[in-house]
Amino acid sequence: MLRHLVSDRTALAGLLLLILMFTAAAAAPLVAPRDPHEQDVANRYAPVSIEHPLGTDNLGRDELSRLIYGARVSLFTSLGVGVAILAIGMVVGSIAGFAGGILDGLLMRIVDVLLAFPSLLLALAITGMLGPGLLHLMIGMVAVWWTDYARMMRGLVLSMRERPFVESAQAVGLPGRLVAIRHVLPNIVGPVIVLGTLQTGRLLLALSALSFLGLGVQPPTAEWGAMLSEGQQYLASAPQLMVYPGIAITLAALGFNLLGDGLRDVLDPTMEN
Amino acid sequence: MTSYIGRRVAYLIPIWLGITVLAFLISTLAPGDPARIYFQRTRGRQPSQQELQIVRDRFNLDEPVVEQYTTWLSGAVRGDLGVSFTTGRPVLDELLLRFPATLTLAFWATIVTVVIAIPIGILAAVKRNSVLDQVMRATSMLGASIPSFWLALLLIILFSVQLGWLPASGQQGWESLVLPALALGLGDAAVIARLTRSSLLEILNEDYVKTARAKGLSESRIMMRHILRNGMAAVVTQIGLAFGFLLAYSAIIEVIFVWPGIGRLAVDAIGQRDYTMIQGFVVFAGTIFVLINLVVDLLYMWLDPRVMLGRQRAVAT
Amino acid sequence: MTAFKRTWPQRLAALGLLGALLLSACSVGEGSDDESSESVEQKLVVGADEDGYTTEGAEADVGQYPLNVNIFESLVRMDENYEIEPSLATKWEFVAPNTWRFELREGVEFHDGTPFDAEAVKYSFDRVAKTGGGTPGFEKGGTKVVDDYTVEITPQFDNRRLLEQLVHPSYSIIAPDSNPGEEPIGTGPFSLVEYKRQQRIVVERYDGYWGEPAQLEEITFSFLPDPNARRLALEAGEVDLVLDVAREAIPDLESKGFLIAESQPGAYSAMYLNISGQKGYTILQDSNVRHAIGYAIDRETLIGGIFEGLATDEQTMVPSRLLGESGASEVEGFTYDQAEAERLLDESGWTMGSGGVREKDGEPLRLELINGFPSASDHGAVPEYIQGQLGDVGIEVEIVKTPDTASYEERLATGEGDIWMEQGSQNDANPLFLPALLFWSVGLFGDIGYQQLFAPGAEFDALIEDALASPDPEEVKQIVGDAMHVLIDQEAVVIPLAGLYRLNVLSDQVQGFQTHPSALQIQYNSVSMGAGDG
Repeated sequence: MLRHLVSDRTALAGLLLLILMFTAAAAAPLVAPRDPHEQDVANRYAPVSIEHPLGTDNLGRDELSRLIYGARVSLFTSLGVGVAILAIGMVVGSIAGFAGGILDGLLMRIVDVLLAFPSLLLALAITGMLGPGLLHLMIGMVAVWWTDYARMMRGLVLSMRERPFVESAQAVGLPGRLVAIRHVLPNIVGPVIVLGTLQTGRLLLALSALSFLGLGVQPPTAEWGAMLSEGQQYLASAPQLMVYPGIAITLAALGFNLLGDGLRDVLDPTMEN
Repeated sequence: MTSYIGRRVAYLIPIWLGITVLAFLISTLAPGDPARIYFQRTRGRQPSQQELQIVRDRFNLDEPVVEQYTTWLSGAVRGDLGVSFTTGRPVLDELLLRFPATLTLAFWATIVTVVIAIPIGILAAVKRNSVLDQVMRATSMLGASIPSFWLALLLIILFSVQLGWLPASGQQGWESLVLPALALGLGDAAVIARLTRSSLLEILNEDYVKTARAKGLSESRIMMRHILRNGMAAVVTQIGLAFGFLLAYSAIIEVIFVWPGIGRLAVDAIGQRDYTMIQGFVVFAGTIFVLINLVVDLLYMWLDPRVMLGRQRAVAT
Repeated sequence: MTAFKRTWPQRLAALGLLGALLLSACSVGEGSDDESSESVEQKLVVGADEDGYTTEGAEADVGQYPLNVNIFESLVRMDENYEIEPSLATKWEFVAPNTWRFELREGVEFHDGTPFDAEAVKYSFDRVAKTGGGTPGFEKGGTKVVDDYTVEITPQFDNRRLLEQLVHPSYSIIAPDSNPGEEPIGTGPFSLVEYKRQQRIVVERYDGYWGEPAQLEEITFSFLPDPNARRLALEAGEVDLVLDVAREAIPDLESKGFLIAESQPGAYSAMYLNISGQKGYTILQDSNVRHAIGYAIDRETLIGGIFEGLATDEQTMVPSRLLGESGASEVEGFTYDQAEAERLLDESGWTMGSGGVREKDGEPLRLELINGFPSASDHGAVPEYIQGQLGDVGIEVEIVKTPDTASYEERLATGEGDIWMEQGSQNDANPLFLPALLFWSVGLFGDIGYQQLFAPGAEFDALIEDALASPDPEEVKQIVGDAMHVLIDQEAVVIPLAGLYRLNVLSDQVQGFQTHPSALQIQYNSVSMGAGDG
């Protein structure tokens, strides 16, 4: 499988892109040239230079450093939310799939209700009501986006239950849990990875959108969506401030999309969009 | 057929109720005293204790939560969604006032998407793996990665500020519509193009097409009669759903372009903690969504009865 | 493939639906605003900030405040230099011990034809009395009709400053028995055409105006809360005039051929420090910390960098022009002295901890800064700059942004915050206006929200009361100067950041526009639209 993946150049590009960005983000204090909070107002909107490879922003802070530290927030928050919704969705979906009956019906109704509403707006409403702050933002996003995994998990569990090897295992008397772990789970890993990758990309875009609207991190914390919002204010004086964060977001999302697509071709070619 | 519709509709009622519960729950999340905020906003000063109590009574804020919900719900069913905390005017009126603007935007954004995506998707499928196909796939990949609000800002910089061709905000005449529709439509275009392509490819490979080819029918005849009709079923439903989602993502676009639609109304209401408006909006938008999904389901069923009949593979004609 | 027969009724239905959608789309797209094209003569479009009108109750002020659209007029006006001019009143005199007599202008009519007379004045001021009386202290029954064109006003407290206070549009004269929340009827050069809450307010020329007739036929004020959208609208030609533009945009706009109208300083940017100790916000009760904050800020860079040089280093809060030379000289203000700031903090026992934040008894020196008056966007990058500056001396600042004015005021009423960042405006000719409104313990309007957090105490109060009772305007300026010295230098309750002047930006088609340090006094009579340079 890995060989196949490596031969798919676009997927490889995506993977490398992501590795690069995540590493830079994780190692921010080492990689970033300067302190992202260090103001130098006299030197604002500075052009590209050796000292400031991408210039400075409206308060004279180093743009590249802010982008790198911003990657920390944007990327790891997306990842964190991604993992959280994976966990929640899978648990709920499994329960629904295995339990069946009323519980299944109830859980799936809840999923349907959440899905009956445009996710971004729902996340916006929840986060907006909770108030500013990164934690509130994450709560809002998690509350909305776990549904895809739940559905998928439930579908997989249901289809697995009907498989002959499961039935025969049950006939032999193996306990349900063992059946689940030994037989069902390996078949789930593939689709989950694919969905997870693509989903994280979408989470990143949603996170940026919500930050752009002012939710989430508060100054002086750097974050790509928030930086875009600031850049918009200084459109006339320094349009580049609006371009860099946008490129960063696009590249990261692209990385997730390329990788996810490639993984899908390998792991789960039957999966619908 | 009617029983199918009937079942679908009946299924939607608990969903709708769930939406109302959701709407109500969301507004209970916020800290702060809604009565106080309401008074401050409409009267421009802080209330005395008595005045505060009057507001609380007016909005039933001292009743237990469940009771507040049922009171509100009985009103909502009759179309009374309360009054906005910010303007004091009926929520439903405000929503209906702005809904046409969002609808217009979503509609034209969909047109943009269709006009761009479908031909490209078809071309890419027909000329599979050609340079055009590669380019299209790359572009659509990029399109799915670009944040739509960033695209909107770039468009504003280019067409409004630099070139001065098109307005950057407001809703005056058709020129105001161009940039927002483009910003909104292009993002989806990427996805729709890919979907068109893959749907068509799927069909091009299906047995009956091969059979038709074997019979010697010309390529274009095959295209017209079989491929378009069948393939479009999936694409049309996607567009229908996309239209629904556009109503959602238009919120940010509406904010950027100062477009007077319900999306912007919602964002403003959230910022201003206008509880009743947020509740009303969630119900309103949710209802619209549910209706759109229903229509799309029925449309799909109409276009492709195989769904209803259980997805039997069509026998070669 | 027989399943695919499309019946004609189905096709028609689909087409019909599509057509209906198209039609509705077209009509909605074009049927709205006609105000867009500039080729229409004598119609001005103004880009204004968020709609702050109150529409309910006796406080309703549509057309008056915070956006004065020239529907209403007051008894008197003030010019650029804060000098009083006659408007609806022609003569006035003070009658001891506490009464003001005004002679009213004759031959003036309201927009609906009602004659303007003393009854209208009584109605207007009694209405203000119902909600507490305002800064002048109107009282029910305190406004007496002497005859058709003479009125006497006796405020509820000793108020020698009434005349200067009357210029504020909140005390403008409305038609008897009218309600601005429903239908604003005034005597001004323009009358109401339509008001769409949070979208726009449109006024048209009133041909029966008593004074210099307006040249414009119509003015549309568009509410555009987002300063970016305002500027973009200006650049795109959708609005002709913007009342408030972010300073960083000015150089660019100038280079694009827009005209900048600069007024005298009439506003200020400052931080108010919560000294009440309520709800755990106790750190700022220490005078050393407050003064340290004052010294920690590099105002030169603030004004040169953040304000793009478009502000003055005036630290009197009340515009110095209004205080007069001797009054203004009473205020020393703060120099930029990081060493002094650090010394003061050290003296109070706040020692530098690891991570660059000072600590005392295990508690970090952490302050909450509330950003939101008049709105967060008005302050731009200033809060973050302050955050950086205070961080340099070991004070950690957390910025809390409130989404709009109402939320800010609500938060103020509950007193949750240490530092309150505001932009204040001098909106009448009374030097006491701001200090009395915000920092005098007795408070005005019956609403003591600000006082609860910021009132400096007895010394300040005494000065204010002296100034209120003083008959000599020159003496008043001196006393207020002293009061500001107490407020700023001594107690450091107010940390001034910069003196601001109005920056109105207009397209070159707008002619005859006269700006004013107080946005509320801007008159549009003299404005007309010309051809411009295209």
